[in-house]
Amino acid sequence: MTAVKNISDAIRTGRTTAARSAEQVTRLLIDADKKGLNAALDWSPAYLAHEARRIDHRAEKGRLAGVPIAVKDNIATLDLPTTCASRILDGYVSPFEATVIRRLREAGAYVACKANLDEFAMGSSTEWSAFGRVQHPLDPSRVPGGSSGGSAALVAAGVTPVALGSETGGSVRQPASFCGVVGLKPTYGRVSRYGLIAFGSSLDCVSPFGEKVDDVARVLAVMSGHDPLDATTADRPPLTLDEPRRDLRGLTIGLPAEYFPADLHAGVRAALDRTIARVRELGAAVKEVSLPHTQYAVPTYYIVAPAEAAANLARFDGVRYGPRGGAANADLTQMYRDTRGRGFGPEVRRRILVGTYVLSAGYGEQYYHRAQQVRGLIARDFDAVFSAGVDLLLTPTTPTPAFKAGDKIEDPVAMYLADIFVCPSSLSGHPAVSIPVGRDEGLPIGAQLIAPPWHEARMLAAAAAIEGVVDAKREVRP
Amino acid sequence: MTIDSRTIHHIAGLAELAVTDAEAKALAGQLERIVGLVAQLERVEIPSGVGAFVAGPAAATLRDDVVAPVPLNRTPEMLTTGFQRGFYLVPKLGSQEPAE
Repeated sequence: MTAVKNISDAIRTGRTTAARSAEQVTRLLIDADKKGLNAALDWSPAYLAHEARRIDHRAEKGRLAGVPIAVKDNIATLDLPTTCASRILDGYVSPFEATVIRRLREAGAYVACKANLDEFAMGSSTEWSAFGRVQHPLDPSRVPGGSSGGSAALVAAGVTPVALGSETGGSVRQPASFCGVVGLKPTYGRVSRYGLIAFGSSLDCVSPFGEKVDDVARVLAVMSGHDPLDATTADRPPLTLDEPRRDLRGLTIGLPAEYFPADLHAGVRAALDRTIARVRELGAAVKEVSLPHTQYAVPTYYIVAPAEAAANLARFDGVRYGPRGGAANADLTQMYRDTRGRGFGPEVRRRILVGTYVLSAGYGEQYYHRAQQVRGLIARDFDAVFSAGVDLLLTPTTPTPAFKAGDKIEDPVAMYLADIFVCPSSLSGHPAVSIPVGRDEGLPIGAQLIAPPWHEARMLAAAAAIEGVVDAKREVRP
Repeated sequence: MTIDSRTIHHIAGLAELAVTDAEAKALAGQLERIVGLVAQLERVEIPSGVGAFVAGPAAATLRDDVVAPVPLNRTPEMLTTGFQRGFYLVPKLGSQEPAE
């Protein structure tokens, strides 16, 4: 039985209470803090006990009764601060909560803690948090990935069975792969963005982590569906899950050649080779395919996302949110500049500058418009493969296992290229899931399934079948 | 494409970001590398008729045109540094009037 089903069944049938669940989470959060994981930002035993009482006193417990969820700190919650791991929002408590949080709480779940992240979700290592870097749960010298590294680390460390992160360019799948947990990015428009603090509005997706595929599937089923508060959510009902499947007969799995380059890390290649063998044994037809514009995904992303970030982050000016910078006699413009100059960290400032540059007079056509056209070509690549009879794509999630802290922090381009296999489906809006498929020298390796839009149910059923036959904790190069 | 400190100060001004001279020097090198990365897109052959990508549903589902603000748990004055009689308080624009 998977963690989410186990907890909610136990609470619904009276075998345990939310209060006991909250006490256990409290102990685990204290232990994680003592170990220096630095994955949880805001939480308190009193708040956990209060949330547990709310659930225990309900007559109708709900589908996620008593399930503790760590929530990335760029998703608005009512009772805990929402800082985006940034000094510019230090102490900010939202006056409203995100639609996903409201839906999860209505289903009986509770917010266990706010999770650390790269400031404003900009990063691939969770080293860019204003509140310190997150440690990898299996090797403190390494990064947990990012930007949702705190959420991934909390699930991998067993503190919470599920967590929420956000994806803009792979920020859930990449840390899921690094930490050895499941990370699911839904189709753009499947889940409301209301209350997710905007980074790249045409890319952002609230996305769950879990110990198992079944855990993220149950969370997605609750939080998905049209939201009148977000006009980019599709007019569709919440996701209905498929029956679990024991095999992959009748499915065609595509292997995009561009995701298996000659210089792919040997451990990643070995893990994927083993996974592909299992997929064949499960009865799927496997064929090689091509997504020729893959190589342009990272450059495209680093035009589109910073351009949208520069616009979205203009609202943080010291007037309406957080601390205000500048001398007492500063004029308005100087106050804006001082507040933003001091409030934003290095990576956020860099991306705002890149975004402002590519949108500035004379460059908009050269960079932004062209990037949006290339984005269309990347989406066409996926459409062509899926319309030619491929049901799902199978790829490595990341080119390497988790890297050492500090290895890429001085080289933004090297850091950006860590997302090369997760960026394309973020740009095109396709759903994708990363599952752990092995370890190399103790470090987890993830495989990614990508599906046509709105086919999460098929993708999750296939991912669960693969999960059932791959030993994710086994070394791939003994 | 060469990006120098002067360009950084110009962009930082547009973005309302305070940047010191030392920071501008470091940022110039970093932005030059990033712009070098994204400049790869100039090599991509764009077939005719390819427009800008649009994310999400083809047609957004609009809400009824009814003014119904989301009820807030906290009032605006609890979020900001300066608030008086329904207005956010900000310094004056130096270019128009002297600051008090």
